[in-house]
Amino acid sequence: MSLAAEAFVSQIAAAEPWPENATLYQPLREDQILLSDCASSLAVQAYLRMCNLPVQVSCRPNAEYMSPSGKVPFVHVGNQVVSELGPIVQFTKAKGHSLSDGLDDVQRAEMKAYMELVNNMLLTAELYIQWCDDNTAAEISRPRYSSPYSWPLNHILAYQKQWEVRRKMTAIGWAGKNLEQVYEDVSQCCQALSQRLGTQPYFFNKQPTELDALVFGHLFTILTTRLTSDELSEKVKSYSNLLAFCRRIEQSYFEDSQAGSTSRGFSKGPSLI
Amino acid sequence: MGTVHARSMDPLPMHGRDMAVHPDDMIEVQEAEQETKQEILENKDVVVQHVNIEGLGRTKEDLLGHEISEVFDAKNLIDVMKKSHIARQKLLRLGIFKEVEVVIDTSEGADALPNGLDVTFEVTEMKRLTGSYNTMVGNNEGSMVLGVKLPNVFGRAEKLTFQFSYGTKETSYGLSFFKPQLGNFERNLTLNLYKVTGQFPWSSLKETDRGISTELSFPLWRTNHTLKWEGVWRELSCLARSASFAVREESGHTLKSALSHTMSIDTRNSAIFPKKGALLRINQELAGYTAGDASFLKEDFELQVNRQLVWDSVLSASLWGGCLFPIGGSPSSIADRFYLGGPTSVRGFGMYSIGPQSEGDYLGGEAYWAGGLHLYTPLPFRPGRGGFGDLFRTHFFLNAGNLCNLNYGEGQKAHLQKLVECLRWSYGAGIVLRLGNIARLELNYCIPMGVQSGDRICDGVQFGAGIRFL
Repeated sequence: MSLAAEAFVSQIAAAEPWPENATLYQPLREDQILLSDCASSLAVQAYLRMCNLPVQVSCRPNAEYMSPSGKVPFVHVGNQVVSELGPIVQFTKAKGHSLSDGLDDVQRAEMKAYMELVNNMLLTAELYIQWCDDNTAAEISRPRYSSPYSWPLNHILAYQKQWEVRRKMTAIGWAGKNLEQVYEDVSQCCQALSQRLGTQPYFFNKQPTELDALVFGHLFTILTTRLTSDELSEKVKSYSNLLAFCRRIEQSYFEDSQAGSTSRGFSKGPSLI
Repeated sequence: MGTVHARSMDPLPMHGRDMAVHPDDMIEVQEAEQETKQEILENKDVVVQHVNIEGLGRTKEDLLGHEISEVFDAKNLIDVMKKSHIARQKLLRLGIFKEVEVVIDTSEGADALPNGLDVTFEVTEMKRLTGSYNTMVGNNEGSMVLGVKLPNVFGRAEKLTFQFSYGTKETSYGLSFFKPQLGNFERNLTLNLYKVTGQFPWSSLKETDRGISTELSFPLWRTNHTLKWEGVWRELSCLARSASFAVREESGHTLKSALSHTMSIDTRNSAIFPKKGALLRINQELAGYTAGDASFLKEDFELQVNRQLVWDSVLSASLWGGCLFPIGGSPSSIADRFYLGGPTSVRGFGMYSIGPQSEGDYLGGEAYWAGGLHLYTPLPFRPGRGGFGDLFRTHFFLNAGNLCNLNYGEGQKAHLQKLVECLRWSYGAGIVLRLGNIARLELNYCIPMGVQSGDRICDGVQFGAGIRFL
């Protein structure tokens, strides 16, 4: 669709209220989903809960291919399909639900900057650890990614994905880094977030915004995922206010849900092995 | 070039360049007839002493023995000419010779009989490598097709073909290796390796298939059978952002490993405008028991019967049908289901635009049937008779068909009922043009009837081009 047509369609969509049967699609929780996708999905779920918009979570082995942009998660609302947190935030804003209306321009710019930081640092570090570290790739990422498929398709798809991610890492200049440097980057990112958060309950004082949802999604998943080594979660654990932040959001928004990883306390969280 | 190989009915092994010796028993039979010294050989008994093939380069001899062996059985001159002609046809159908000429001459040499004949086949082998280049124009796209063929690769009529098609919308390529059985050309083995991309706008679907297949063909009594194993990696994706969610749910990768069997009997005198004869083709495919994740049993058949009526007109009736049974509980994939409608099946409806659909995207069905009744007549007033005009026919048609999904818990009677209710049918007339021996073009005026909500129709003038028509 052309840009004008897309704008027109989203105008139409804005007129309709949020339906009861909105669904969020992600890969299979038990066997297939990887750390980075789980983090993104949790961020979107947290955001929608914060906006008080009901959404059902549906797990599909081909969720990544169903998505219009190739990335999970995506939501199916009415007859619209929107993927990734950024566009979903825009979409809900068009329907009149927003968490960042109370911010002034400076704060909004700051929020965008921190969201970019999380996307460029944390998400990229997650992808690096999953696919560029040979141990993790061989023991966790490739087997999980290819679990719904039969031989030889499972090997073909897993290697294809690995090559794709490695090419992307080369393009953004991360190919030369080693694991230690990546952990160091994660640590620095957490330090920046910790400093911004300080002693406040949320990043922008009293009310959560999309930044809180994004940070919660990534940090909570890192803390509750067992990888080949614990170093990543240790880096996050060293900042106590971030730990408290995650616990607070979990208790406020996810305590009532029976299904899903979030209902189990994150000290003994689910393993993604 | 220029190597001479001589053959006879000698049971001794051949020695390449040696002159073969005619068998002793032939001399005894013919001795009684040696006293006649007539020069006119017509209808006189003769014996074929040598059959030579000249011009062989890389072709191996044992391949050709079977094709020419019958010439030795000829007993008189007319018979020799007939059998030589048949042997020539057989040599040409191997696909390894550009040209075959037959020379029949009296025997020469020390061991020549007075009524002995030598038959020589002068053959010109095809070049080792032939290439072809075509351009094709389709619906809003153009493509360039490059073909490379190696006929007779190892000397026994094996053929290796590579075809590459590069277009504005898609790229496909395929490699194929064909090997006939020695002495029995109709039994052959084909190995294929291919990557094909298809775009299906009626379902807003794009499909990329990468596959490998092996096929074994053989005749059995009067029928032709083909056994095939195919392994395909299918990748489905939405063609447009506006594809319906039902099609979006089918996106992704699947692996299909299937065994199939096709039986066909074709007694028609021509594939395009048959005047008489019938065609029956039955195909079944079982997917899933040899790896892969698609699992189903698929049956379909095609029947066509033709009969000539008065004044050069031909009445033709055809019936198609098929059924797909998913095995193991998982639902069928959109890439395996049947589609109906369009200028090549039920005319008057849009291309594959009959049956279950979701938001304008046609999803196909698990069972279908379609029938057609046609009357072909030459063009009125027969312009261009004997030449260009013979490529055209007028035709009057009646098409009907139905496509639906079956709920297999319901029982046979409910299925039959479902296939009969909501019947779509159409009638009309038009002109048909024959293209070569394979394809035809049609321009019809159609009136669709029995249209159900959701079907897309094309009433009025409809144009169609293709190979297989209902």
